[in-house]
Amino acid sequence: MTSKKMWFLGRLMHRHKRLSQLSSFFRSASCAAEGAVAPPVDSSVTAEQAVRLWAQHFTLHGISEPLLSSQYIIAHVLGKKTFEGVDRRQLKDPLTDTQTVSVWNLCTKRLTSMPVQYVIEEWDFRDLTLKMKPPVFIPRPETEELVGLVLENLRLIRGESYGADLRCLEVGVGSGAISLSLLHSIPQLRVFALDQSQAAVCLTMENANRLGLQDRLEVQQLDVMGDSDALLSKCGPVHFLVSNPPYLLTQEMQSLQTEIVRFEDHAALDGGLDGLSVIRSILVLASELLIERGRVYLEVAQCHPPVIRQMIEETMPGLLYLETRCDLSNRPRFCIIQRRA
Amino acid sequence: MVVGCFRKSLSCASRLRTFTTHTRDIRLFIKRPAIHRTVKSTLQELENANPRSFHTSHPAMVTKILTVDEIFSKKSLHDFLKKKEMEYISCLEALNTDNQTLDEEEMKIKRNNLSVLAPLVQKMKELEDKQKDLKDTQELLTDNDPDMHDLAETESQNCLAAIHDIKLKILSFLIPEEESDMSDLVLEVTAGVGGQEAMLFTDEIFDMYQNFAAFNGWGFDVLEVMSSELGGVRNATASISGPLSYKKLKFEAGVHRVQRVPKTEKQGRMHTSTMTVAILPQPTEISFSVNPKDLRIETKRASGAGGQHVNTTDSAVRIVHLPTGIVSECQQERSQIKNKEKAMTLLRAKLYSARLEEETSKRYQARKVQIGTKGRSEKIRTYNFSQDRITDHRIGKTIHDVHGFLQGEELLEEMIEYLQQFSEQESLMDILKDTDYNQQ
Repeated sequence: MTSKKMWFLGRLMHRHKRLSQLSSFFRSASCAAEGAVAPPVDSSVTAEQAVRLWAQHFTLHGISEPLLSSQYIIAHVLGKKTFEGVDRRQLKDPLTDTQTVSVWNLCTKRLTSMPVQYVIEEWDFRDLTLKMKPPVFIPRPETEELVGLVLENLRLIRGESYGADLRCLEVGVGSGAISLSLLHSIPQLRVFALDQSQAAVCLTMENANRLGLQDRLEVQQLDVMGDSDALLSKCGPVHFLVSNPPYLLTQEMQSLQTEIVRFEDHAALDGGLDGLSVIRSILVLASELLIERGRVYLEVAQCHPPVIRQMIEETMPGLLYLETRCDLSNRPRFCIIQRRA
Repeated sequence: MVVGCFRKSLSCASRLRTFTTHTRDIRLFIKRPAIHRTVKSTLQELENANPRSFHTSHPAMVTKILTVDEIFSKKSLHDFLKKKEMEYISCLEALNTDNQTLDEEEMKIKRNNLSVLAPLVQKMKELEDKQKDLKDTQELLTDNDPDMHDLAETESQNCLAAIHDIKLKILSFLIPEEESDMSDLVLEVTAGVGGQEAMLFTDEIFDMYQNFAAFNGWGFDVLEVMSSELGGVRNATASISGPLSYKKLKFEAGVHRVQRVPKTEKQGRMHTSTMTVAILPQPTEISFSVNPKDLRIETKRASGAGGQHVNTTDSAVRIVHLPTGIVSECQQERSQIKNKEKAMTLLRAKLYSARLEEETSKRYQARKVQIGTKGRSEKIRTYNFSQDRITDHRIGKTIHDVHGFLQGEELLEEMIEYLQQFSEQESLMDILKDTDYNQQ
């Protein structure tokens, strides 16, 4: 056999091997999710082609935000946070084999309606990049505004440097977004945080360790509704309390996006029949744990602020409802409440 | 030969007249032998280098950058300096005579004026002294003693050098500082005429400035990139920060033109495409504030219940300034609040530049080197690939090596230095012209 023939056969076999590799992702894809994507005809795909291919496939399977999902996943595989951040010339280069494998694996997960944040296992919250892990609640953009509101309010009360010795309690810490952002912005702050879910407690600790903020943070697995005595004995008086508690009404739970219903912890979302059951417990706790004139900062559903105000005025003489603030889309979203002197 | 050359440049000028509105320059160069010489020699050089590649768009417009001595030979400069000296003396007298009629406010203005003028007047005095020294020394040059003659020769050389330095210093006092010269900036590139080729070129220019920022050690933060499906960039913005960033980049604003055979062109025809650069100074929080009530902020979460009800990854933010209708947007970040901050940066830069433009439009009307967003419609530079040259039409400067230029390093720096010199000279001439005008 001539050497030319040998070379030709070798190339053919090599190509064939890579093709069969690609189609095997698709077999596994079709098992995990409903439907499979046709593998690329040529065995090498550029980032741009992969984005288009998966966006089409997501659309076909009714996955929400098809193009963005595909872009975020591929940007992540290329080591960037957003598709806009990827060097434009890199988009024309073929993906390496390892990159192709991870794009296909991650996109296949997305086909099951898993939220992008869980698929790539991280997301940004203000200045921080946090690890995300199902079923721990994924922080929403409104909560970034809650942190901004707390920081602005504290500066107003305590001056630009927030003063010395500042303690805070967070109820329902989730992935740690609020507490870690506050710790990141205020170097003298100490936080006591709790969550009823062990997974959330672990994830918060993991994020705190990654960011080097673990020294000023204590996280406990406690239920604000059931374990209030234990909580009172463990946590001393605090200057302020912050929370993004579960505030959805139980009846709303089934009408949520598939992403939320299938993957996120319902306990982090379901606030009972009127969406206020956890909020009530927080307010009771606030009158016991806050120092005089200490404040509570809450994120709530847009129907809640007037109800909470009325509840405080009628049944909680120790508290004063100060203010309702709106989110970027002008929905009443945040409540500021103060403990009376 | 001389006649032939002159005729050539004349015909060149008449051809030019059809292209350009700068008739003033053409008149100038016909009348003034110095400039004529420049043109002639450039023409000759060109013909020697490559007789076939003669093109009209560049040599005839060479604008001369005057030497220090040439500027000092102008009567208007001397008049201006005299006026400043008088002003200084009158301020000094007013403050010294303990005048009761002046109130606190006027005193303050005069004192301020004095401190501004003092260094200039001092330099003028130094110049006078040195010129006297020079005159005295030059008298000694006629001396018969060879040693004495040598000494005088050296001394007068030293004097001339010192005079030159002092003159430079005086001119630098006269060139006004722009309010925004010390600020950071927002760069915006937009594809113009020429379809996909224009977008590819826009992409290259955006890269050039990114490299130029790195070359100067400035920060380069991409705010927004709108890529085209086919490749290239429709529109992109970046915030650039660092010492002198605005002062250097402000001359880059305007229409940039590319002439080449595009990669997509199958028949090998040359295309001409354009893109636009806008340079917006970035105001500080203190110097420029925006009323939050004037803003409408749009996000993908605006419809529906928001909050825990929805999980979206679309974190793009768009801000509309209602009174002016100016819009900015950002989707560069995964965090919505970060996108909002960046969109605000962009919006503030746009609003500030609109205000600056309004304030300064009168002052710069007659200038060739435009700044800010002014002159966006004016073609400022051509990148010609087949002749491997970049020509800046405002100052008629040509630099060779297009690929090197697009690297955004020394060659771009060189072009910008020329523009800077030219602009300083123009603002100086403006001041002198004002003096002439006031005296008439």
